[in-house]
Amino acid sequence: MKNIIEIKDVSFQYKGSEEGLLNNVSLNIAQGETVLLCGASGSGKTTIIRLINGLIPHYYPGEYSGSVFVDGHDIKNTELYDLAGVVGTVFQNPRSQFFSVDTDGEIVFGPENIGLNPNEIRRRSAMVVKDMNLEKLMGRSLFDLSGGEKQKIACGSVSALLPNVVLLDEPSSNLDWDAIKDLKNEIVKWKSEGKTIVISEHRLWYLKDLLNRVIYMDSGEIAGEYNGDEFFAFTDSKIRGLKLRPVKIEEKYIDKFSDISSGQGALRNFSDYGDSIKLKNFYFTYKRRPYIFRKKKLSANDADILNLNMPELDLPKGKVIGIIGRNGTGKSTFLRCLCGLEMDCTGEIIYRNKKYRGKDLTNLSYLVMQDVNHQLFTDSVEAEVLLSMKEKDIDKCSEILERLGLLEFKDKHPMALSGGQKQRVAIASAIAAGAKLLLFDEPTSGLDYSHMVKVAELLKELAVSGSTVLVSTHDPELIELCCDYIIRIDDGKVISSDFRNCAMDLHTDKDYNLDNRLEEDNENAV
Amino acid sequence: MKIKLDPRTKIYMIFVVSAIVMMSATTPFLWGLRILTTMVPIALLIAEKRYASALRFFALYISALILTFYFLSSESTGLIRALLTGYCGIIAQFLPAFITAWYVIHSTKIDEFMAAMQKMHVPDGITISFAVVMRFFPTIKEEYGSIRDAMKMRGIFLAGGNAAKMVEYRIIPLLFSCVNIGDELSAAAITRGLGGKVKRTSVVELKLHVFDWLLILLFSIATVIFILNKYILL
Repeated sequence: MKNIIEIKDVSFQYKGSEEGLLNNVSLNIAQGETVLLCGASGSGKTTIIRLINGLIPHYYPGEYSGSVFVDGHDIKNTELYDLAGVVGTVFQNPRSQFFSVDTDGEIVFGPENIGLNPNEIRRRSAMVVKDMNLEKLMGRSLFDLSGGEKQKIACGSVSALLPNVVLLDEPSSNLDWDAIKDLKNEIVKWKSEGKTIVISEHRLWYLKDLLNRVIYMDSGEIAGEYNGDEFFAFTDSKIRGLKLRPVKIEEKYIDKFSDISSGQGALRNFSDYGDSIKLKNFYFTYKRRPYIFRKKKLSANDADILNLNMPELDLPKGKVIGIIGRNGTGKSTFLRCLCGLEMDCTGEIIYRNKKYRGKDLTNLSYLVMQDVNHQLFTDSVEAEVLLSMKEKDIDKCSEILERLGLLEFKDKHPMALSGGQKQRVAIASAIAAGAKLLLFDEPTSGLDYSHMVKVAELLKELAVSGSTVLVSTHDPELIELCCDYIIRIDDGKVISSDFRNCAMDLHTDKDYNLDNRLEEDNENAV
Repeated sequence: MKIKLDPRTKIYMIFVVSAIVMMSATTPFLWGLRILTTMVPIALLIAEKRYASALRFFALYISALILTFYFLSSESTGLIRALLTGYCGIIAQFLPAFITAWYVIHSTKIDEFMAAMQKMHVPDGITISFAVVMRFFPTIKEEYGSIRDAMKMRGIFLAGGNAAKMVEYRIIPLLFSCVNIGDELSAAAITRGLGGKVKRTSVVELKLHVFDWLLILLFSIATVIFILNKYILL
């Protein structure tokens, strides 16, 4: 079969950067093939995607040797806008790949750019909307859509240009399981239309049965090439050896994550064990009823408008607690209320016999945001930590930095650090502020396996040293690695709250109770 | 009632209203005319079902006018009156332009705007720059919201009263995230053919309707009267 993509002896290095180095890479991809690029962060997956869509060398300059041909175009000598109808790319971040602010404008954006006749554009737009079931999303503002919906529009916008080659650069990073199913359907559709598809990805399980070939990248070189079925038959330990995320996710996780029909689970109560955290009256809504003089306090009676509805919840102290549930179901809202960001939330937390509510919550808990760039304010790591302390204590600051392995970077600018290091700076400032509850909003989206393991270890360490960690996530791998306890949220309500082993039905023994569990944990902790 | 104005009419409105607020209104007739032209964007906001903002603008504008005409005069003394004079002066003078701009930004889709600019033969480079600015407003709002949240959590919302720090803590993270988003945004846009040599087309069909012509006529007359008064009759 004819090769549609030919990468020949390409070496590349980004201008002014050590990263993303490619070393003499050659790769041929035939018309109609579906190929996965996998490997750790910085192994060169994204660089290859950029070689094919022409962003290298036209948008990201650097030292470049070798040649790339796509569908007969010599990429080096073809202007980017001439590639628009040849190669289409779906990017990682759903927030930053839109030009329009409304969905209709986004679908027709590409065809308008290449100067197609308006009637032809209208025909294509109608076709894409029908093929991809986008009817419900039309005529809406892109800023009101969920990540999954935005990614669907991004796929539609690429489709409207009818490219022969479709590239996807970590498309599932910010998606929940339902959205990933939709994404998979798009890929299946493109495949059936005979398009050539290249996917760079950390999450692998959803691509099973779709791939013709898997290219394994390691430090800028192609370190392995497997046939799709062969790759998905690898044992877990082999996959882990390659530092990849698992290729198989147990059915039980799929059920627990995406389907709530399994019904109400257990709701643990720790009243007999003094050392727990009690949450009371966590009610919150984004659609407030209009009021004239005084806001009415929200209560369970407002169930019809509540986005968060948790009359009572007990949590074990000093554990890593996973929060799961579909997108838009209240996980982030829950975290925001816990750390006192939503002033209208009436909830109170009882921690060590002390009540915290309203503004006090900001002293008790701290949220490490998904985009950690938003919470770094100063010009050095040390200053960042000191900023959180009421009484500036250099020794204590050094101690915290030491614990998080940041001491050597104490004079560096936080923005010059890697993503993982930034995350740790945010944690350091939370600890310095004396936060007992550390909240994490999807800390592993877009991370490769080894970074995810690092985050998991860090979360466990934080719990061992006495903090209680709450982490919302769509990554079952992370839950498996570090969560002791799982809360499942649906429609703003807790539908189960239980130890992981029980929640995931790993223990069929009905008599397995809290005493065993706490003892076991104590042993593990020792 | 839904009134769909052509973006060209809206741009014309912005120019005219800005010009009128810059020229002095000396007679009651001129004041009346100026108030009339201010009521147009407010009425348009109501037609767009943006009742709350229409009401807010209306109340703000009218209260400033009432204060100016009935409570303040050139003989006013005292600090509060001095402050009020400045405040009302600014509101009564410039709010009309602000309302118009606010209405245009909130009622125009980016693709309509681009189509209008193309029809007026504005070069693509300028059109695209304007479109990017419009695209960025909501993004900045989102990012700024997150940064405020982060500051609240850190207890540095007021930065201990240090105004310079207050600005620094807001602007630096905002700049970083906007630069990142802008970079990703342009990469995504040029892979879909933005900036090519071919002439951009548009699916938006623009046509000036009766209502557009009426507004254009009204605003043109207002401009002529103001100019006559300022430069010729005096």
